Amino acid sequence: MPKKFRIVVNGEAYEVEVEEVGVKSAGIAAPVAAVAPVAPVAPVAPVAKVAPPVVAPKPQAAPAKAGAVVCPMPGTILDVKVRVGDTVKTAQPVVILEAMKMENEIVAVADGTVREIRVTKGAAVNAGDVLVVIG
Amino acid sequence: MWDKIQELEAKRSALALGGGEKRIQKHKAQGKLTARERINHLLDAESFIETDVFVKHRCHDLGMAETEAPGEGVVTGYGTIDGRLVYVASQDFTVLGGSLGEAHAAKICKVMDLAVRNGAPMICINDSGGARIQEGVDALNGYGNIFYRNTLASGVIPQISVIMGPCAGGAVYSPALTDFVFMTASTSQMFITGPQVIKAVTGEDVTMENLGGASVHNTISGVAHFLAQTDEECLAQVRRLVSFIPGNNLDPAPSILTEEQQVMPSEALLNIIPVEPNRGYDTREVIANVVDDGDFMEVQPFYAENMVVGFARLNGSPVGIVANQPKVTAGSLDINASDKAARFVRFCDCFSIPLVTFVDTPGYLPGVGQEYGGVIRHGAKLLYAYSEATVPKVTVIVRKAYGGAYLAMCSRSLGADVVLAYPTAEIAVMGPDGAANILFKDDIAAAENPHKFRQQKIREYREKFANPYVAAGRGMVDDVIDPRHTRRALINALSMSATKRESRPAKKHGNIPL
Repeated sequence: MPKKFRIVVNGEAYEVEVEEVGVKSAGIAAPVAAVAPVAPVAPVAPVAKVAPPVVAPKPQAAPAKAGAVVCPMPGTILDVKVRVGDTVKTAQPVVILEAMKMENEIVAVADGTVREIRVTKGAAVNAGDVLVVIG
Repeated sequence: MWDKIQELEAKRSALALGGGEKRIQKHKAQGKLTARERINHLLDAESFIETDVFVKHRCHDLGMAETEAPGEGVVTGYGTIDGRLVYVASQDFTVLGGSLGEAHAAKICKVMDLAVRNGAPMICINDSGGARIQEGVDALNGYGNIFYRNTLASGVIPQISVIMGPCAGGAVYSPALTDFVFMTASTSQMFITGPQVIKAVTGEDVTMENLGGASVHNTISGVAHFLAQTDEECLAQVRRLVSFIPGNNLDPAPSILTEEQQVMPSEALLNIIPVEPNRGYDTREVIANVVDDGDFMEVQPFYAENMVVGFARLNGSPVGIVANQPKVTAGSLDINASDKAARFVRFCDCFSIPLVTFVDTPGYLPGVGQEYGGVIRHGAKLLYAYSEATVPKVTVIVRKAYGGAYLAMCSRSLGADVVLAYPTAEIAVMGPDGAANILFKDDIAAAENPHKFRQQKIREYREKFANPYVAAGRGMVDDVIDPRHTRRALINALSMSATKRESRPAKKHGNIPL
């Protein structure tokens, strides 16, 4: 959203629109906003037409986000074995996922404390969903 | 004469120091062994014989005329592991960063040629900054010569790559063409384009370790097969792997029969496999209770963990084991599991190592991601690899063997020599739930109590089809066995098929769906 400013130069008031250009993204030089120096001759500063800010692609997460127990396949949560605040060890089952004709033990990916449980018994989940966060 | 010999000794000891004391210290400060120390750890004591120690580069450009590169940045030669011949090239990072030039590449090519000619494994230890830029296209040509030899040697001799430092750009393709890639944690990296280039082109911020470190390639990309914490541990792993594999495609794999192997029944097997078909277990426990001394060397233990592959021995002779892992994603097949197992099966077939397959899979993992990722063509690799393999193939159906996944896991139709099943086996075209839903769709809808009717039909289907006896009744399963006697049954099956000869129509090569 362009912001409007009132600028007084040499006693004369000008209304100026200023638009903030998106965060400079790496690799692609952000076009330099042609904000003309506010001069008495320019009653309204030209608002530079700027391409929408280029959002830098999300960097590939480091191997397995530390602490997030991610659902490996689509299925139904049969049981949640831990409660928020519980201390867990790596490879300890935290959730039982019914999928592929099996009751699958989904295990903790790190030692730590259960910070968050994002699923409940009976919930349908998809591959990639974060089930439990261990911190 | 004495002077001449002294001159020789002086030259030799100067060359043995590589890049000199200072660089060696810097190198070792990172926890790395030197190129020569690595060879000494890898080979039997005093067995190493060096080749081309006096080779020099011929480059005069960009200040190279005055630049000394002792040994050309790579130590090459041969020696023994457990008394068996192997060829080695070990890049020396202390000499111009282990960079590869014309002469460096020629040294490696020479030992590769010797390895092929004499039928012994080739082990290449990589620790190099990449191409020696001063040498331009000569360096590039050097890489090309190595790739070409890697390809021609594939399936003739086992080729092992050990990454113990940087291995970037084109250099990665030599390891990629070889059979097994070892990586050391925190000191090794492999990537095509480095973090700086990635940052400049796509804006992604990534560290060298997160881009191409040992854990990335052992868990996410599947490029590497083995992970070690230190150089010493890594080289010990290489020695262990070599103990399972033959020197070439004509020799048999080394049989180690130190004492009469036990073929006692294993009571433990009865407890490992749960009776409830919906409970998981660790298939590696089954393997450990079947093979000699419980000794199993797992390949790619951190990648596509729903499939377990690796080497073991039965009655002293090496076998390749492929097993579904019910503990991980129910043991379902997916893209990565198919790739992993197919490549392993092909290695075993190249080098006459019999295959033992343990089946417990509910089928292929459903999902849009899988289909878009090409699970059809990747899954086909496993069918292809098993069908193509002419080594003895023995299959044990532990529990679930459904549909296409049953076929893919070395079924009778794909040429298994012996198929055994446990009484817990369920061999059918699909699971009872799904089958009842499809077969009795209208009846279930029309039933007074659809739920109860459906459950009854599922039970009927399970009783009728979810067992090993339908398949055994058609001869697709040779025998239903007591799990306790698995070891004896496998040893019998393998000794029966040890003299197997299978001839196929002559062809240049097949066209595996890559």
